Amino acid sequence: MTSIPATLEETAAPPADLASLFAGMALIREFEDRLLELRKAGEVVGPVHPYIGQEAIAVGVCAALGDGDSVVSHYRGHGHALARGVDLNGLTAELFGRANGVCGGKAAALIGDPRRNLLMSSGIVGAGIPVAAGAAMTAQVRGDSSVAVAFFGDGALGSGVVHETLNLASVQRLPLVLVCEHNGYQAGNRTEDIYPEVSVLRIAEAHRVRAVAVDGNDVLAVAAAARSAVAAARAGEGPTFIEARTYLTKFHLQFERPSPEVRPPDELAAWLQRDPLTVALTRAAELDIHLSAEPLRAEARARVEQAVQAARSAPWPAAAEVHTHVLAGAA
Amino acid sequence: MNEVGLLDVVVQEEFDRDPTLVFLATNSPAALRGRFGADRVRICAISEQAMVGMGVGAAMSGLRPIVDLNRASFGLLTMDQLVNHAGRMHYQSGGGYRVPMVVTAATRGRQQLGPQNEQCTYGLFMQTPGLTVVVPGSLAEACGLLRTAVRWPGPVLYFVAPELNRQRGLSAALGTPPLPFGVAALLRRGDAATIVAIGGAVPVALAAAESLSNAGTDCDVLDPRTLAPLDVPAIADSVARTGRLIVVDDGPRSGAPVQILGRLAERPDALAALGGRVGFVCQPDVPVPSSPALEDLTWPTEQRIVDEVRRLLDADG
Ligand SMILES: Cc1ncc(C[n+]2csc(CCOP(=O)(O)OP(=O)(O)O)c2C)c(N)n1
Ligand SMILES: [Mg+2]
Repeated sequence: MTSIPATLEETAAPPADLASLFAGMALIREFEDRLLELRKAGEVVGPVHPYIGQEAIAVGVCAALGDGDSVVSHYRGHGHALARGVDLNGLTAELFGRANGVCGGKAAALIGDPRRNLLMSSGIVGAGIPVAAGAAMTAQVRGDSSVAVAFFGDGALGSGVVHETLNLASVQRLPLVLVCEHNGYQAGNRTEDIYPEVSVLRIAEAHRVRAVAVDGNDVLAVAAAARSAVAAARAGEGPTFIEARTYLTKFHLQFERPSPEVRPPDELAAWLQRDPLTVALTRAAELDIHLSAEPLRAEARARVEQAVQAARSAPWPAAAEVHTHVLAGAA
Repeated sequence: MNEVGLLDVVVQEEFDRDPTLVFLATNSPAALRGRFGADRVRICAISEQAMVGMGVGAAMSGLRPIVDLNRASFGLLTMDQLVNHAGRMHYQSGGGYRVPMVVTAATRGRQQLGPQNEQCTYGLFMQTPGLTVVVPGSLAEACGLLRTAVRWPGPVLYFVAPELNRQRGLSAALGTPPLPFGVAALLRRGDAATIVAIGGAVPVALAAAESLSNAGTDCDVLDPRTLAPLDVPAIADSVARTGRLIVVDDGPRSGAPVQILGRLAERPDALAALGGRVGFVCQPDVPVPSSPALEDLTWPTEQRIVDEVRRLLDADG
C-alpha cells in the first residue's frame, strides 16, 4: 500500500440546517456589498468580482464537505473562501493589501489557504480544474476518502484543458466534484452567443462523467446535489459534474466603476426575484422552518464591519516581503 | 483592444485597407464588428490556444489574422501555437509558408491584478526564434508599429502597456505612419549615460532624463521598439560613446533587460566602454504582488532611474 502519510483528517460534514446555510449566504452578501463600496473608495485593491446572486452555490457545496477535502476556486472567489471557512479578518486584510492578509498581501482576491485546503483561486479561466483533479488524485493514492471540488464559471468550458481533465477524471475515476456556476455570461458575452447549446451537461456526459443539473439559487437543492456527488466520490464512484444555473445580479467586475456590460432588464428582474436569500426564505416557509433573516444579516454585517475596521488599522507588508516566497527552500 | 482604445481605430483603418485582415478575441470591439461583420470580426469562447492555432492556419492559407489575447498572461496558454507553430513554419517549410499573424496582449498596469495577470512576458519571446516582438513606448509608436505589424510577412507578438492609454495627442498618434521594425528610436541625446527603456517604462525614463538634464546631466534615451529584431548597433554605438548603461523595463530583469546586455557581447568595444557601469531599473525577478505597498517596489520610477544614473556617474569618472 501507499507510504504517503494520511495527514488529511476526514471529518464528515454535519447535515446542514437551513438557518446556518442562510447565515453563510448572508455573510457573503454583506461582505461583498461592503467590498464594492470600499473598492469605490479606493480602500480595497484590485478588481472586485462580486459573487452576489450566486451565494447558494458556494454555501450549498461547502456544506457537503469535510475539513480534509480540497477546494479550488477562481477569480470570483470571495464566496467560496468564506463558505469554506477562510478567516474573515484574514480575507478582508488581504483585500486591503495588508501584512496580515491570508497571503500576506500578495494575492488580493486570488487567495489560497492551506488551513482550509483551499488550494488556489486562479485568475486564469479553466486552469484550476486540472489542479483540483490533482488533489483528487492525492486522495485516491492516499486512500483517505477525501474529495476535491473545483468551482468554475460556464466560461471555463471553452478551454481545452477542461475537456482534457474531464476525460482523465472519468477514466481514472477521480474523487472530483466539478461545480459549474452557469450564470449565462462570460464577462461581456452571453454564453448562448458563443456556445452551441446553453446547457453544458452534455459536455460532461460525452466524457461519461455523471452530470446533474441543479437550481443554483436554491441552497437546499445545491446542498443535496453536492452531498450526493461527494458521497459518490468517497465511495470510489468517480467524478460528478454539477451544472448549477444561476445569475450575477451585479456585474462582471468593479474597479472604481463597474464593468459596462448590459443585462436585459426583464431578465435581471426575474433573477432578482429568485435571489438565493429570498429563495431560502421561501423554502423555509414551505418546510415550516423558523428562519428570521434580519438578525442573521445584522450579525453578518457586524462581523464584516469589525473585519473592515481591523483591516484598516493593520500594517502594510514590509518592503522585504516583495522578495519572500519566490523560491521554495529560500525565504 | 488591450486597454488602449485608440488601437481599435488603427485596426478599423487597416481593415478598410486590407480585406484579408480578420480579428479574433473573446471581447472583439463592437464598433469593428458592427462595421466589418461577424465573418471578419469574431467573438470566441475562452479558447486562447485554439484561437491562436486558428490564426496560424488562417495566416498560412491567405488571411491576416489579429488575435487579441487581452492579457499577456493568457498568451502563456498559447505557447505551443506561438513557439512550435507560428514561429517555426516558415523555417520548417524551407521558406515555403509564411505566418502573417499579429497576436496582441496588454502587459502590466497599476491595477493590482496580482501575480498571475500583471506580467510582461516579452522577454520570453526573445528566446524563441521566428517570432517578431514589438513593445511600443508611446501611443504614437503603438499606432505606427501596429500598422507595420499588420503588413509584416511573419508572426508578430505585440505587447502594449495599459499606461500608454493615458497619453494625449490622440489624432497625432493616429496619424503615425508604419514604423520600421528593428530600428531603435533615439528619444533624447546626451553623453552621460545610455538609458534603454522598454514599453511602458519609456515615458518614465524620459521624465527621469528630463529631470537629470535640468540638473545638468544629459543622457541618451533609446527605445528599441522591437526586441526581436533588436537594434544592437544603435544601443552599442550609444554605449560606446557614453560608457554607462541603464536598462529600464516594467518587466523582470532576467527578461528583456539582461538579454539586451547580453547582446552587447556582439560589440566588444561597447562592452569594454562599459567597464562594469551597468544598472537595471526594472521589475526584480519576483512575481508582481497585489498589495500596493509591495507592488510599488516592482515598478521603475523616475526617482529610481535618476538614482541609478547618479550611482553610475559616481562609480568613477
Ligand atoms: C484564460 C483566460 N482568458 C481570459 C480571461 C479573462 N476573463 C476573466 S473572467 C472572464 C469571463 C469568465 O466567464 P465565466 O467562466 O462564465 O465566469 P463568470 O465571470 O461568469 O463567473 C474572462 C474572459 C481569463 N481570466 N483567463
Ligand atoms: Mg459565467
